[in-house]
Amino acid sequence: MEALIKVRDLTKDYRLTRKREGVTGGLVDLVRPRHELLRAVESVSFDIPAGQMVGYIGANGAGKSTTIKMLTGILTPTSGTVTVGGLVPWKQRLQYTRHIGVVFGQRTQLWWDLAVVESFRLLKKIYEVDDATYERQMKLFDELLEVGKYLHQPVRKLSLGQRMRCDLAAALLHRPRVLFLDEPTIGLDVLAKENVRIFLREICEGEGVTVILTTHDLGDIEQLCKRVIIIDKGRVHFDGKLDDLRRRVGRQVRMTVELRDSATSGELASITAGLPVVWEEIEGLRHHAEFNRVEVPGAEVIKRLVNELRVSDLHMAEPGIDEVVREIYRQSGREAS
Amino acid sequence: MSEFPGKQVNTAILEPWHRTATASVGLYFHFIRLAFLKFLAYRLRYYTGVVSYTVFVSGHYYLYTALFASRVADAQGATIGGLSLSEVITYVAVSWIGRSFYFNNIARDLMRMITEGEIAMQLIKPFHVQTVMMFEAVGESGFRLIMFTLPIMVVIVPLFHIGGPPDSILYLWTFISFCLALVIYSQINFLLGCLAFNMKNIQGVLRAKMVSMDFLTGVVVPFTFFPEWFQRVVEWLPFQGISYIPVTIYLGKRPGDELYAALLLQVAWAVGLFVAGRLVWRISVRHVVVQGG
Repeated sequence: MEALIKVRDLTKDYRLTRKREGVTGGLVDLVRPRHELLRAVESVSFDIPAGQMVGYIGANGAGKSTTIKMLTGILTPTSGTVTVGGLVPWKQRLQYTRHIGVVFGQRTQLWWDLAVVESFRLLKKIYEVDDATYERQMKLFDELLEVGKYLHQPVRKLSLGQRMRCDLAAALLHRPRVLFLDEPTIGLDVLAKENVRIFLREICEGEGVTVILTTHDLGDIEQLCKRVIIIDKGRVHFDGKLDDLRRRVGRQVRMTVELRDSATSGELASITAGLPVVWEEIEGLRHHAEFNRVEVPGAEVIKRLVNELRVSDLHMAEPGIDEVVREIYRQSGREAS
Repeated sequence: MSEFPGKQVNTAILEPWHRTATASVGLYFHFIRLAFLKFLAYRLRYYTGVVSYTVFVSGHYYLYTALFASRVADAQGATIGGLSLSEVITYVAVSWIGRSFYFNNIARDLMRMITEGEIAMQLIKPFHVQTVMMFEAVGESGFRLIMFTLPIMVVIVPLFHIGGPPDSILYLWTFISFCLALVIYSQINFLLGCLAFNMKNIQGVLRAKMVSMDFLTGVVVPFTFFPEWFQRVVEWLPFQGISYIPVTIYLGKRPGDELYAALLLQVAWAVGLFVAGRLVWRISVRHVVVQGG
């Protein structure tokens, strides 16, 4: 099976101007500016077959947005190649963009001052969507996203959640083969997030759309993507199944303990002696315990604590995507040294 | 990559696709319509504009009346730079009426789109940003014609007793000439906006443009008032196609074939600047650094 998206040794350098200090420095800058290269993406390679949904994860500044911008044809890479279905995004932009849908969570592609429906009518013209397909898609979007209610409101009067639903519909109106989602659930409340995820699953699995998704929200990845690619400092650090990622990171959990009487981290550590639990004091009565759920049964930790101390409250949290990413970064750093 | 079971689609190829000529016309007409609607939503803003344009023209009216009175004993019948007082007043009025029609802020809009990174949302769409912006400018001017230029004419023409052209067919040619002016003006603005790809802030450039354009286009002062060398220079620049050519057509200063030559010159500049804009855009986009997000 030939891959739809082929990325080979993709590299992007940005040229930054470094300012000198002081007045003299400023004057020198005018005559001879000092530049330095920042390598935002370095030798990134991967293949994505048609119909796959891939989570592309990294911390801020890791290079994920830069990669997405090159894949969507906005940026030209310094070196390396990208072909999507035989097209080079930044060279055959007009041909290529016909087949893709893009949602940048921070921006909107809808016409700000006009009613939502005007944007859809324009997109229908831009992508030459025939009347039957248009009607069918709009009906589908109304069923799954309830966009029908907002069609005659100006975009600027929509809430973030409503706008995001309309933006998703706008990106999929022309039934693109590839969908790029950059933080599609950013700033949305729990219910809105859930709606967006359900919609994406239905549409993308149903129509076999290939999806590349960047997000900070582990929930997005868990519910949508079987495969994740983790990038840090411009390089790929992990590319594989989500389950493998979990296994590799372990099931690290953080337990917050509220005590009635104050205790030091040392005292708590002696209570959990023999178990690999790391204690951290947050403030007098509140402590954090971090441990791997595979190695340490949570119930054991709780039992020991309750036996020895007067505990007023307990709370356990799964790690967010940031912590998983940090763990991957930490592990790859260890392998490198 | 069979270890990642996704629903397999039959092919790994994106089919070639071209927009037909009819579809292009339909699409760009749609952009004209949308721009028209967009400006209609902000129409209140333009009512104050009617007042300020009237003030501009009044200022020039009194300035030129005083100038003619001081230069020659009998202001009626005398000429300066080949124009009589009533012709100069007509020149000024028609210039500003025309300006209220072709004016747009493409340079500033493009600069904002580039510096705020909104340009990314344009680049992911299968159309030429330059062409889209030009047709949006046409839509804006369509709005201006009805909601701005006509009210200004209703006020200014009777107020300063502005007469018609020597031949009424010149109404048509003047309008066509101002439409060509719109294309030239929007393309110069587009090229200036492209500077924002390389210079982070082009506010200064835009301010310099605002001032110098009104001189170089001949809106403020007819070229014939300037020294010979200045007139030689502006003949080689595109700016005369924005105001000087349409206004002199209106005044009947281009008899016979000179009329067609002037219009052809405008067409040539419009096409030339459009091609230049396409090239500059292509080069700029390759080096684009999209800000933010």
